[in-house]
Amino acid sequence: MTVVLEPPADPTLERRAAIQAAAASSLRRRKVSSSVALGVCWLFLAIAVVPLVAVVYYVLAKGLPAWSTDFFTQPTKPEGVAAGGVWNAIVGTMVITAIAVAVTVPVGLLCGLYLAESDSGVAATLRFTADVMTGIPSITVGIFGYIAIVRNFGYSGYAGAFAIGFIMLPVITRAGETAFRGVPHSLNEAAMALGARKATVARRIVLPTALPGVITGVLLAVARGLGETAPLLLTIFGNQFLQWSPSKPMEALPILIYNDSSQPYADQVQLAWGAALLLMVVVLVLSIGSRLLAAHLQKERR
Amino acid sequence: MTSVGTALPGPRGRGRRFSLPDNGYRAGLYAVALLVAALAVWFLVAIVIQAVPAFSTLGFSWIVSKTWNPAHGQFGILPFILGTLETTAIAVVLAVPIGLGTAVALAFLVPARIRPALSTTVELLAAVPSVVYGLWGLIVLAPVFHNTVEPFLTTAFGWTGLFGGPSRGVGLLLAGVILFVMIVPTMVAVSRDVIAVVPTEQVEGAVALGATRWQVLRKVVLPGARTGILGAFTLATGRALGETVAVAMVIGNSPYIAHSLKAPAATVPSLIVNNFGESTGTELSVLIGAGLVLLVIGVLVNSAARWLVWSTGTRSAGLELGR
Amino acid sequence: MGGPSGAYETIPKGGAPVNNPKSGGARRRILALLAIGTAGAALLSACSSSSNTSTSTTAGSGGTTADNAAYLAADLKAPGGSLNASGSTFVQPFFNAAFYKYTSLNQALQVNYQGVGSGAGITAFEGGTVAFAASDVPMNATELAKVPASSGAVLQIPDTLGGVSMAYNLPGVSQRLRLDGPTLAGIFDGSITMWNAPQITALNPRVTLPAHAITPEVRADSSGTTYIFSDYLKTANPTTWTLGASKTIAWPPTAVQTPKNSGVAASIQSSPYSIGYVELSYAIQNKMSYAAVKNASGAYVVPTSTTVAADASQKPAVSATDFSIVDQGGATSYPIAGYSWAILLQKQANNTTGAQVVKVLDWTTHDGGGQELAPSLHYVPLPTAVQSRNRTQLLTVTGPGGKVLLTK
Repeated sequence: MTVVLEPPADPTLERRAAIQAAAASSLRRRKVSSSVALGVCWLFLAIAVVPLVAVVYYVLAKGLPAWSTDFFTQPTKPEGVAAGGVWNAIVGTMVITAIAVAVTVPVGLLCGLYLAESDSGVAATLRFTADVMTGIPSITVGIFGYIAIVRNFGYSGYAGAFAIGFIMLPVITRAGETAFRGVPHSLNEAAMALGARKATVARRIVLPTALPGVITGVLLAVARGLGETAPLLLTIFGNQFLQWSPSKPMEALPILIYNDSSQPYADQVQLAWGAALLLMVVVLVLSIGSRLLAAHLQKERR
Repeated sequence: MTSVGTALPGPRGRGRRFSLPDNGYRAGLYAVALLVAALAVWFLVAIVIQAVPAFSTLGFSWIVSKTWNPAHGQFGILPFILGTLETTAIAVVLAVPIGLGTAVALAFLVPARIRPALSTTVELLAAVPSVVYGLWGLIVLAPVFHNTVEPFLTTAFGWTGLFGGPSRGVGLLLAGVILFVMIVPTMVAVSRDVIAVVPTEQVEGAVALGATRWQVLRKVVLPGARTGILGAFTLATGRALGETVAVAMVIGNSPYIAHSLKAPAATVPSLIVNNFGESTGTELSVLIGAGLVLLVIGVLVNSAARWLVWSTGTRSAGLELGR
Repeated sequence: MGGPSGAYETIPKGGAPVNNPKSGGARRRILALLAIGTAGAALLSACSSSSNTSTSTTAGSGGTTADNAAYLAADLKAPGGSLNASGSTFVQPFFNAAFYKYTSLNQALQVNYQGVGSGAGITAFEGGTVAFAASDVPMNATELAKVPASSGAVLQIPDTLGGVSMAYNLPGVSQRLRLDGPTLAGIFDGSITMWNAPQITALNPRVTLPAHAITPEVRADSSGTTYIFSDYLKTANPTTWTLGASKTIAWPPTAVQTPKNSGVAASIQSSPYSIGYVELSYAIQNKMSYAAVKNASGAYVVPTSTTVAADASQKPAVSATDFSIVDQGGATSYPIAGYSWAILLQKQANNTTGAQVVKVLDWTTHDGGGQELAPSLHYVPLPTAVQSRNRTQLLTVTGPGGKVLLTK
């Protein structure tokens, strides 16, 4: 007769086995929930990417056929007259943006320089004001442009540039301030120790060192200004003819897209797609260009 | 031992150099700063002056009254305020989880090789003009909603009571979804930035304790980035609140409180952009007053966003440097 | 010159208007007038203004074709520059084509016309930001009161005649629908909600109408087209249409609102089971389906420029205070029709701008000028009586010094 002796129950071993079992089941459970949660993240990535890719795809697919020589060189024509284009809108957008940039870049950068150098209460208030200005809905900026300029001087490219400039100014100011603050103090102090005046320090040291950040900020502000529609709707009136003078009503690409998007005439809608593609390409080039430029200038610094 | 330029006089008064160029420089900068401040003040004064007649003639009840019928002297803007809030709510309810999930995926899950390209693509799309999104929404997405999405949602979720009425394509739901597509890049970009700067020691510590990847995210990364994510959320909300043209193109412009997600509705910006050209007198004042109300809401939200994002940036930068 | 109205000015009631002045017995009269006119033109051309004392609303007195040609030739010599005008989208296809043609003939002057809706055009005119405005309903007393007193009187002249079609998008229905006043009122005040409602099926017994909800498509902005349509609904349903006749209507919550005629047309095209009101030119040019509407004589009439002209001929005497031509009777009259009106100041503040405005408008509103473009765009050329009255009115426009600006 064999007797099988079982080892006495060892509480430690039992506890260890229980813990291991619990740990194993917990790990299984946690791995499953982790896979599920991460799977959901992948799903959300797909959900986010799909419409964005779809927008780019459709704008390309429907806008590219609109691009032709006439598209870029002819002004808009009445319904039924063939060979219309968007040249008047391109000119209007270029002129308005150029004026807005010419005014807001110097003013914005100087203001950013002031904010970077000063920590007074005035500066704090101004910083807060600039932040508040970036949050103003664009339609309200359009109303301001109408009240301030159109009521007194009529519809014009200047009124549009005023409204677009109002939107761009706080962006450039804050971007400039961030860039100027990023310049190491040691450089400033070294220059001043050599006897340079503050203005010289700003011109020779701060501005060149901060240039990557400044250019990025300006290009991004321009990209934003190019896409604004509502302020222009209230200030530039529109123009079917080619108009280079900003003191007259002008046409602009966002206005053209907005108006032609809900047209029953298929060739007008195609113009809208073509203009949308043009705007998108320009904005993307500016955004990508600003990043590349900033990276390139950073590398050169090293 | 010559100095740069003219010799500078020694210190005077409280130890400051009173050399004119420096003072002229500082005075010049100060003047520009005052100019910018004056512009902001001019803006506020101009808008308020134009809006005052609405308040003096109609009191304050029009802000919460729900009948908009200018021909009969009724200027209630409640339908438009509700429309603004509803479209923003739809956009944000969709954008917060999807944006966060996308940010997590981009920061941790996507292979390192395609990570920069994919992230840059998503962020660049934040710069695409809103009118392009509106065009796409009106011509491409509206028929899809009319034929496929809305019927499906009605059969699947009709019991909630939110999907009454016929499917039209344009309406509250489409406007909310277009806004979602527009604000998702912002949400993703800012979230990804703050998620990426959570200190690696904390992440490694959690892994060492046996946490799964999701547990690391849930217990360490997301709480650490919480303020920044909140900032991203408020930034996205601010943009959705103020959006004008993309919404006006797809929302149906019906001046009534919508009782269904499929109904046409209107927002304060769409009201203004459609009626500004033809309004005079009290109606014009009301429109500008509505713009003022929107302005206050948008500014509050955006200021909160900026403060949150900025304060997180300094805090996590500080954490990283071990201060 | 007085005398009996010519055959081309008497429009027989109940039939198609005779709008071709060269038909029948009018020809001899024209030849006689030409002979006199050619002799007189040589004398008159030396004068800077023609005298025109006609005050009657139906018989114009200044209308010889040689005279007209002289005015038109002078119109094309307007001073150079650019004009801004805005308003009705009802007239926009016609104005765009006419002003484009004008600029191709007189390359010095550009007329920048923006279609923003009649209401916005009137507001722009009140604010002085446009040289002239266009609206499908003339300014009423309240609106006229908003023009500063110092600007003087406001002149409103018809510039085109068009119809408002009931365009719809019904998948699976290829026949043309028939609709009448009560049914249209029911659709657009929200009381009729389904396409297969008894009122609609009763009018269209041979059409299989779907059991689907109707989406009314209407204007979001202040619109003269809305005025003409609501005027028709009120005239055809005096007791049951309660939403009034106005540029802005409190449409039911189920209606989708879009700015501009073009926007409504595009919205109908992209929304199955919708119906809306758009100017005829948009509907025809974009091959939309539109309904035959019952007129006051009981006939179901399809909108065409001929049937619109028939309706207008029932009421030849229109003025800025008596302008409605909807729902006139007649076997071939399309009931939803209206004139569109150009609005300008009688006392122009600037000689150059003023001359540009009157000459452009004179060219646009006369045969041999802009009106030649109307038929191909499915508008009706203005009746001759209206044209000569326009010229009479434009001849009263003066510059700051009191000089008459419209010359030959």
